[in-house]
Amino acid sequence: MDKLLRNKKTIIFFLAPGLILFTVVLFIPICQSIYYSFCEYNGLAASKFIGLRNYKELLKDKSMMFALKNSLFFLVFSCVSQLIMGLFLAALLTNINKGRNLFKNIIYLPCVLSSTALGLLWMFIFSPKLGINQVLEKFGIEGPLWLMDTSGTIILPMWIIGFVALWQYVGQSMMLYMAQISGISKSLYEASYIDGCNRAKSFIYVTMPLIKPMVATAMSLNAIGALKFFDLIFNMTEGGPNHRTEVLATHLYQQGFKYNKYGYASAIGVVLIVLCLVVTGLINKFVKSENYEM
Amino acid sequence: MSDKAKSTSVKVGIYIFLILMAVIYIVPLLWVFIVSFKTNAEIFSAPFSLPKSFYLDNFTFAWTAGRLGKATLNSFIVCGITLILNLLIGSMAAFAIGRLRFKLAKPCLTFFLLGMMIPVHCVLIPLFTRFAKIGLSNSLLGLIIPYLTFSLPITVYIMTGFFESMPNELIESACIDGATIYDIFFKVALPLSRTGLFVTGLMTFVGNWNELLMAMVFISDEAKKTLPVSLSKFVGPYNTNYSQMFAAIIIAILPTIVVYCTFSNQIVDGLTAGAVKG
Repeated sequence: MDKLLRNKKTIIFFLAPGLILFTVVLFIPICQSIYYSFCEYNGLAASKFIGLRNYKELLKDKSMMFALKNSLFFLVFSCVSQLIMGLFLAALLTNINKGRNLFKNIIYLPCVLSSTALGLLWMFIFSPKLGINQVLEKFGIEGPLWLMDTSGTIILPMWIIGFVALWQYVGQSMMLYMAQISGISKSLYEASYIDGCNRAKSFIYVTMPLIKPMVATAMSLNAIGALKFFDLIFNMTEGGPNHRTEVLATHLYQQGFKYNKYGYASAIGVVLIVLCLVVTGLINKFVKSENYEM
Repeated sequence: MSDKAKSTSVKVGIYIFLILMAVIYIVPLLWVFIVSFKTNAEIFSAPFSLPKSFYLDNFTFAWTAGRLGKATLNSFIVCGITLILNLLIGSMAAFAIGRLRFKLAKPCLTFFLLGMMIPVHCVLIPLFTRFAKIGLSNSLLGLIIPYLTFSLPITVYIMTGFFESMPNELIESACIDGATIYDIFFKVALPLSRTGLFVTGLMTFVGNWNELLMAMVFISDEAKKTLPVSLSKFVGPYNTNYSQMFAAIIIAILPTIVVYCTFSNQIVDGLTAGAVKG
């Protein structure tokens, strides 16, 4: 049997399709992308090496600054809000028996729906003449222009899109935390009650430390998701008004495929990839802790 | 207040909060659903009433003139083929990593897992220019290839776990019966990992079904667009007929909602099982 499992030919047969695909469609393009980021390239003429000029231009580009700021805002906002809401919902749902599945399924539903459709849906809800403003009108209040307001450091549309993203994806975090919490043995809680904890205290002293590894996983998922963020923004505001809601992904799409500035867009892509690697590294370094026996 | 009364009131509080949450989740969807049966004038004249009659023209218009029917078909073709290829190629690689014996198994797994950390956006431009050169742009195959590649990491990861935890005796007894390695893979290993195949299949199908960015970049031909792209195009600033746009949104999400409601428990648990491992 050992001979059967060590046969070189079979190993190559099983591994080759995946590895070839992965190398050709993922790794070679990434290297190319890094190379293009040092070039002037529009897809028609041959690429011309220009050193760091794209990166210097990035620093001067006003929409890029908006995009970077907004992406970082999403990163922080979605990590924090998903952690709090996800954990809170998971704690509530693990404490009830009747209707647990029903609520769980309702909250998880948007996770499987197309964020294009949901983005458009929320765009209508916050549009000037429909949705919330129709309700407000009934009470005689003139609603604000939700998605076009540009006052403040973090403008109103960003908070709205952040809320929609939380609404759509909190089910994912909630489920991850629920899976972890239901794996904690009941005897630990009983011991904590004997030692004088009430439910809230046992949540802080028993549950919280034991779900820390899952916090790292869920947070990395949220962080990468937040940096990749594209569909909701594209469909709710398309980066407008005046590039104020641009994020890295929408900016890359626009520069690359509307203006054909492939070199410049590649530089944005490199920034994005570096951010992804740094953030997941940081989260895993700081949130991860010693594993407890469960 | 006695302890019992206190815990009942806490329970009531929890249920009130959860019902409020459920309302926040259901009302927007319900609103779109109701409005999609109204005429465009009705939306503004009677925003809160139920539609006077079930006005189905919105749906026919979105389905035909909005090309959503064709787009649904395209999405099915792309996601279906991706699903099958992904399960086959992914579990083959996972079988090699988890069961076959060679030194580079761990580095291979790491190589695949790196793919999960890399955002699609970074490879769009090189892929786009390459595909244009070899005639793959504007074809469904040109969409299937990147979808397949980006679905592989999660499939390889989950399936490796399944194959590693498979009892050794099964493979041994198959060997004694004179099975080849291909028999072992197709007749023993795969049938025993049906749960894993279901979970990964579900995850990749849902992800690709909703994917917008790549579909927008790689396909510009109207007749080959997938559902999210056609929807995003149909519901735009140049369209002024709101009820048709609402109908389009419903066409895009209703099939998923129906499937979800039928199998919700398996789907939710399956998707989470995948994410927990990932």
